[in-house]
Amino acid sequence: MKRSTLAFLKSQNLTLAAIVIVGAALIGITSGGGFFNPISTRTFFLFLAVPILIGLAQMITLSVGQLNLAVGAIGGFSACFAGVLVADLGLPAWIGGLAAVLVGGIAGLLNGWLVVATRINGFIVTLATMTILTGVQYGLVGTRTISSTAWQPIVDLGKASVLGVPVIFWIALIVALLLSFAFGHTVTGRRLLASGGNSVAAQLAGISNDRSVIIAHAASGLLCGVAAFVTLASLSGVNQSVGGDWLLPSFAAPIIGGVSLVGGSVAVLGTVLASTILRLVDSARAEFQLAPSWVNFVVGAVVLGTVALGRVREAQDARRNAPPPASLSTRPELTPVGDPK
Amino acid sequence: MTSTLKSGSSAHLQAGALRRFVATPSFFLLVIIFVLVIVLGSIKPAFFNGPFVIAPLLTGISIFTVVGLSQMVVLSIGHMNLAVGPMAAFGAMFMGLSYELWDLPLVLGLALGILAGAAMGALSGWLVARTGVNSFIVTLAMSFALIGLVPTVYSWLSAGSAFTVKPDGLDEIGRSSFSAICVNGACGSNAIPLIVIPALGVMLLIGYLYSHTRLGRELLMTGSNVDAAQLSGIPTGRRIVLVHSLSGALAALAGFLLAASTGSFTPGIGQEFMLQSFVGPILGGTLLAGGYVSVTGTLLGITLTLVIRKGLDLFGVGLETLNVLLGVILLIALSSDQIRLFFGRRRTRRPAQVDRTSPPPGPKLAQPSVPEEISA
Amino acid sequence: MSSTIALEANGLSKSFPGVKALDRVNLRLMSGETHALMGENGAGKSTLIKILTGVHRPDEGALSVAGSIADIHSPAAAMHAGIGVVHQERNVIRGFTVGENIVMSRMPRRGPRVDWPAVRREAKRCLALLDLELDPDTPMARLSSAQTQLVEIARGLYTETSILLLDEPTASISDNEADRLFRVVRRLTEQGTAVLFVSHKLEEVFAHCDTVSVLRDGRSVLESEPLSAHSRDEIVDVMVGRSLAALEVPERAVDRSRPPVLELSDVDTASGHRGVSLELRSGEILGLYGLVGAGRTELARAVLGLDRVTSGSVHVRGARVSIRSVRQALESYRIGYVTENRKEEGVFLAQSVTRNVAITVWSRLERMLGYVSTKSERALVQKYVTELDIRISGQRQLVGQLSGGNQQKVSLAKWLAAKTEILIIDEPTVGIDVRTKRSFYDLIWKLADDGLAILLISSDLAEMITLADRIAVMDRFAITGEVENSHDYDEMSQSIIRLIHGHAAVT
Repeated sequence: MKRSTLAFLKSQNLTLAAIVIVGAALIGITSGGGFFNPISTRTFFLFLAVPILIGLAQMITLSVGQLNLAVGAIGGFSACFAGVLVADLGLPAWIGGLAAVLVGGIAGLLNGWLVVATRINGFIVTLATMTILTGVQYGLVGTRTISSTAWQPIVDLGKASVLGVPVIFWIALIVALLLSFAFGHTVTGRRLLASGGNSVAAQLAGISNDRSVIIAHAASGLLCGVAAFVTLASLSGVNQSVGGDWLLPSFAAPIIGGVSLVGGSVAVLGTVLASTILRLVDSARAEFQLAPSWVNFVVGAVVLGTVALGRVREAQDARRNAPPPASLSTRPELTPVGDPK
Repeated sequence: MTSTLKSGSSAHLQAGALRRFVATPSFFLLVIIFVLVIVLGSIKPAFFNGPFVIAPLLTGISIFTVVGLSQMVVLSIGHMNLAVGPMAAFGAMFMGLSYELWDLPLVLGLALGILAGAAMGALSGWLVARTGVNSFIVTLAMSFALIGLVPTVYSWLSAGSAFTVKPDGLDEIGRSSFSAICVNGACGSNAIPLIVIPALGVMLLIGYLYSHTRLGRELLMTGSNVDAAQLSGIPTGRRIVLVHSLSGALAALAGFLLAASTGSFTPGIGQEFMLQSFVGPILGGTLLAGGYVSVTGTLLGITLTLVIRKGLDLFGVGLETLNVLLGVILLIALSSDQIRLFFGRRRTRRPAQVDRTSPPPGPKLAQPSVPEEISA
Repeated sequence: MSSTIALEANGLSKSFPGVKALDRVNLRLMSGETHALMGENGAGKSTLIKILTGVHRPDEGALSVAGSIADIHSPAAAMHAGIGVVHQERNVIRGFTVGENIVMSRMPRRGPRVDWPAVRREAKRCLALLDLELDPDTPMARLSSAQTQLVEIARGLYTETSILLLDEPTASISDNEADRLFRVVRRLTEQGTAVLFVSHKLEEVFAHCDTVSVLRDGRSVLESEPLSAHSRDEIVDVMVGRSLAALEVPERAVDRSRPPVLELSDVDTASGHRGVSLELRSGEILGLYGLVGAGRTELARAVLGLDRVTSGSVHVRGARVSIRSVRQALESYRIGYVTENRKEEGVFLAQSVTRNVAITVWSRLERMLGYVSTKSERALVQKYVTELDIRISGQRQLVGQLSGGNQQKVSLAKWLAAKTEILIIDEPTVGIDVRTKRSFYDLIWKLADDGLAILLISSDLAEMITLADRIAVMDRFAITGEVENSHDYDEMSQSIIRLIHGHAAVT
């Protein structure tokens, strides 16, 4: 326990947490305390759930050295699919909610399967499925918005709070805790990290890298499904635009949160904190009534900077930890014959 | 005697070239496009309407071919540029600025915009070459930054989020056809827009680059094997920066052509570029892994998707179906890429047994593969 | 002790493009014995190990474990069949702890959960077998390379295996650590485990092994024979194939009075060389011999400007130079480098023969607007295809479709086309079958006779003694001495060993 506390202090999580606190304080002061009134904080946490969930969804694919461009498309499609099930076909609200989560998982499974079966770059596969799902989403809802009144029980859940914090934020936190446990303490989670960290070593240890890729994509899709469920609970309705703006935050959160882009690591807390920072930036923008594109620019620039600097840091680490030159060559050689002495 | 031998061998060479062409994706695409056009035209004769169907179709093909080439040049070294669309928007923004705020003439504004696009490309390329981070991640981050920056600048500097001042000549390039060009009273066809000229120019330039120059060859070799290229004396770092700059410049040009065809410079330019930019080259046979490109293939790949789109339009089928179709086409085209690779591998008898167990190609920086080399 | 057959391989064959890595190889491991597998570089030992562990599948032949046919199609299947392995490459996951790396092949679990206390316990047990005082919670990234190798060994001891394969386990650990390993091996064999031990170190093999198999050029030349029946010299003879060492060497005369074309004086490099001095003349073949990681390839990289020269001087044809890129080395100083990893660094497998050879001459063929005429390119390439007798169906043929020997010729041809005057050739015949080797030797002699200055890097002692005019010995990034080559195998191998060991004793 002590060691993990120490690690926390040294980690970039501390920096992130400090930014969260300072940022919140600054917004609080500039808004004359308005930011801290119960309604504002409620709204803040309400719309923090989706960024956390999609950031984690992306983090899972990054952990095996993959990525998922279809995060928004899966989420938007799942939400609209559930909306159509409930509003048009008259299914019970909870069935619709469950369907949103499951459909997300199935879409992710399909992504993973396509990547493994076709050996195509995961980026291109998810680009294609993103396009397809966005098209299907539009086909499902067209230009209309399906009002959330059709799934009132889920909306009620969205309005409910525990300890002054919306239930759906707790959902996101529980998902984060589960993931943290899964990656830290389950055999499956460790195998994903092994595949992402060194696929050859993983293979030699009998781990199936294909399986890891499929599991990661499926889990990523499942989290997009949960994000879709949260959307159903927190928005006044769903339409073709749901999920359209998820891509940037989904990458930004894990990258800023300290997840290695080459696979083999996760940072659940970092991702959650980075999502919170992104949400704060958005709140600040609303506070100062700036154009939404400002947020994209700031976040984009920060991501670009993190990528560039992060890589430099990794390279330095690698150099420091590099074994001495004597071990660079792995080819054995003939030891001279006979005994010289 | 010698002359017959010579002509005989050159006829043989031609036959060989024809045989090779028939085996390319380009030939396959050509056949599909031909059949599709015949079928569409016989069901809907309106498809052959010059000014209202063919001309817009050709305009689209011209613009998107440049978009496809912008992606193709980075694919040639095995990289990607996910910021093709935002770079187009960024370049177009500079053009709009120079026409609206600085009253620059057409060519100067164009040059400035292309430079701006190239500069963004150079920045991506430099980051990739310098940090060794996958081009995919760098250009994705780049696209995020630009997607945020461009609308911000527009909302600052323009009224109504668009630059609408048109310098002399913009409409001629973007919205007129050969019917505007008359020689001795005989005018050109109104089915062929003038915008095909810059697109053809770019195609010729890029085609020349890859088939006849040292630089083009060096880029393909870098794409094939970057380590071997470096050890053979190719300055790979500089080539990476150069190719990303070229991609940015072409993207900016595509943004210009799109703006010229619609009549205004808006932040929305380039939004539809990403998918198309990959579909065109990939359908045309350009390898994702680098080392092989096809300019004709890119043109035909773009043509096929736009003919399909036009056909769907004529049948009143909505945009969403097109998207679904494009996604499916992309997956199929890439699977055929894999199939081709598979057969290529069969021919070279490379060991295939590691394939099932090694991880699929992903965006990893250093993808270790099970060494298949035989050492002691 | 009654011993039974633990593992039997019959008629294993495996081909890679252009080379037959294994040709009807047999192997029989008895339970309770330590069996040495020996052979030179490229003899097929690693391929055999990879087949036994399910990384490669054989083209032909059968494997049986404990008397029944086993289908070892994956590393997991090998583990299931009771085959444990310590790989030659250190394949660890640097982000994990020592403990987790050790138990990764079979995580102790409680339901879906990792049983962390058991991970630590098991890892401690394995480390204790090697008398290693290492906390299982240490991050892997913090270990030295020798420690990493030891963890790799501990990992091989983790699962209860009836067959343990050790692929060069002692290559980078101290004698002390190796002794501990052998104690464990002895204990295991007493309990009935069959151990296959791959090594180059004759002392180790004779001290610890019961039986021996030797591979040469992918074939079994000694099949599971008791070690006691053979002397060291006999083993070495069958390993290197003395016939090759006794190749007829042409009369060669090097004019030593001429000034050197390449001269390194007291060179230190960023990769760790200290005070390296070498002289190379036109028409001369200077051999650079050394053990694993002695720094030979790194020296080549420094000459080419890929690694920095930090002090000392490099002279090319008498002029002091500071080379910063391969292009500069080629275009300004006419230095070429045939790399040791042919497929990764030497050739472009997916490109045509034309492009593979012409890559170095485009700058010369370039006309206005960067134009390079395909015709002139092909004509030039054809000259070298003919000269080097590269067997191709046409210049359009992809290099990936050629045999290893022809690929190597393509890799060499580009430097000849570029008219280099100084050529560094790194491990020219690794992975090339024995018949092609001979033609390669003839080619290298011919190039030297034509006036090329050749720096030959090789780990193959027989090859070195056959080819070189002079041999410089490198150890730990320094030159320990230089000898004239008399082409007498016994005499030369003795003096080269003395140079390596003499230096080792000093430092």
